[in-house]
Amino acid sequence: MSDWGWVTFAYGVAYGSLALYALSIVLRIRTARREIGDNE
Amino acid sequence: MQSQVRIRRWPWVAIALSLAVAFTLSMISPADSVQGDLVRIMYVHVPAAWLAYTAFFVTFVGSVAYLVTKNLRWDRIAAASAEIGVYFTGLALSLGMIWAKPTWGVWWTWDARLTFTFIMFFVYLGYLALRRTTDDPIARASRSSVLGILGAIQIPLVHFSVLWWRTLHQPPSLIRPDGPAIQDSLMLAALIVGVLAFTIVYVALMVKRIELIHLEEKRLAVEQSIRRPVAGEAVTAPELGAS
Amino acid sequence: MTTGFWHQVRAVIDRDLLRERRQGDMLWITIPFGAIALLLIPLAIGTDAVLLREIGPGMYWVIVMLFGVLVAVSRASRETLPQQDASALLGLDPAAGFVGRTASSAVFLLIFEVVVGVVAVGLYDISLIGIGWLVTTMLLVAIGLALLGTLTAAIVNSSTAGAALVPLLVAPLSVPLLLGATQTYDGLQGGYSILSWVLLMVAVVLVVSIIGVLTARPLQET
Repeated sequence: MSDWGWVTFAYGVAYGSLALYALSIVLRIRTARREIGDNE
Repeated sequence: MQSQVRIRRWPWVAIALSLAVAFTLSMISPADSVQGDLVRIMYVHVPAAWLAYTAFFVTFVGSVAYLVTKNLRWDRIAAASAEIGVYFTGLALSLGMIWAKPTWGVWWTWDARLTFTFIMFFVYLGYLALRRTTDDPIARASRSSVLGILGAIQIPLVHFSVLWWRTLHQPPSLIRPDGPAIQDSLMLAALIVGVLAFTIVYVALMVKRIELIHLEEKRLAVEQSIRRPVAGEAVTAPELGAS
Repeated sequence: MTTGFWHQVRAVIDRDLLRERRQGDMLWITIPFGAIALLLIPLAIGTDAVLLREIGPGMYWVIVMLFGVLVAVSRASRETLPQQDASALLGLDPAAGFVGRTASSAVFLLIFEVVVGVVAVGLYDISLIGIGWLVTTMLLVAIGLALLGTLTAAIVNSSTAGAALVPLLVAPLSVPLLLGATQTYDGLQGGYSILSWVLLMVAVVLVVSIIGVLTARPLQET
C-alpha cells in the first residue's frame, strides 16, 4: 500500500469511528427519549 | 416528568466545523523529509492519545469530587468522560498500529507507551463494565468512583513498571527511526489545530453523553414509578409492608 | 478505638479462616486448578527442558496473577448484601473489615504461591538463587494481590454480574506486581539490581492499602 493509502486508511478509521460513535450517542438518546415519552 | 432534558444541537456543529478545519490543515501541510506523507497520521494519532489521557484525568477528578460532595453531577461527568476516553484510547491505539505498520514493518512493538496505553484501555473498559452491572445511581456512583480513583492512582505505577521493563530489561529490538521532527510551521500548526479540534470534539461529545445519562436516569425513574403487571393483569406484584 | 480496631480485624480473619476450613474452596479448588495449569502449558508448547526452564518463572507468576484472583472472586460471590448489612449493624468498622479480609486473602494467596511454586520448581526446574528475595517477592505479591482483590470485590459485590467482573478489574491493575515479580527473578539470575522493582511492589501495597482504608466507609454505605 502506498503512503497515501495508509493515510487514507488512518483517516478513514479516525473519522469513520467518530461518526459511528456520534451516531451511537444519537440513537441512544433517541431511544431513551422515546421510552420516556411512551411511559408518560 | 415536567422538567425536560434540553436538546442541544450546537455540539454536532462544533464537531463538524473543528474537524473540517483540522482535516484541511493536515492535508495541506507539507510531507515530512523522513516519513513522507505518513506523517499526516500523526495529526490524528497524537490528538487522540492526548484526549485519551485527558478524559481519564477528568474521570479521576469527577470520581474524587463525587466522593467528597456526593453530588451525582460529578459522577455523570466521570462516567461520560470514561466512555469517551475508552473510545479515544482505542482510536489512538488503532491509529498507532496503522502508523507503525508502514513505518516499522510491524503492527505492534512492545514499546513502553504502547503497552501502557493498552493496559490503561482495559482498566477503563472494566470501569464501564462495572457501571453496566449496577442500576441504582447512588450505589453505582460510589462504587465506580472508588474504581476511578484506584485506576487513576495505579496508572502511574503501571506506567513506571512498563517503562522500566522496557529500558532496564531488553533494549528495543527494532531499529526505530526518530519521530518526525517538526521542521515546518505549517506542520506544527496542523498538530496544534488537531489537538484543539479533538478537544472541542471531546467537550461536545461530553455534553451529548451527559444529556444521555440524564435521560437514562429519567427512564429508570419512570420505570420504577410505573407498576407493571407481573404476569398479566390477573396477578399483582406483592408489595412490601402490605397487611 | 484502636484496640477495638485490631480486635475486629482479628475477628474477620478468624471468620474467613474458619469458613475456609469448612468449605475449603481455596485448598481443594484454586490450588489444584493452578497446578494443573502449570501441567497444561508444557503439553501445549512442548517439553523442551531448556525452554521450560526459561519460561517457567514467567508462567508461574502469570498463573499466580490469573488464578490468585479466584480468591477475590469467591469472596465477591459469597459476601452478599444481607451479610454486609449485618456487619454494618453489628458496628464493624468498615476499615477493619477491609484490613481483615485482605489479611486472610493474603494468607490464602501465600499458601497458593508456595504449593504451586513447589509444583513449578519441580516441573520446570526453576533455579532458586536468592531465595530470600524470592520469598520477599512472594510475600509482596500475595499482599498486593490480596489488596487489589479485596478492594475490587468490595466494589463489585451485590451487583448482578459482579463476581465475574473481578478478574477483568484486577488483571490490568496487577501489572506492576507481575513485572516486579518477574523482573526481580531475572535480576537475581542475572545479578543486577532489583531494588527498584522491590520498591515498586512496596509502593503498590502502600497505595492500594491507603485507598482501601479510606474508601471502605463510602463503599459500605451504598
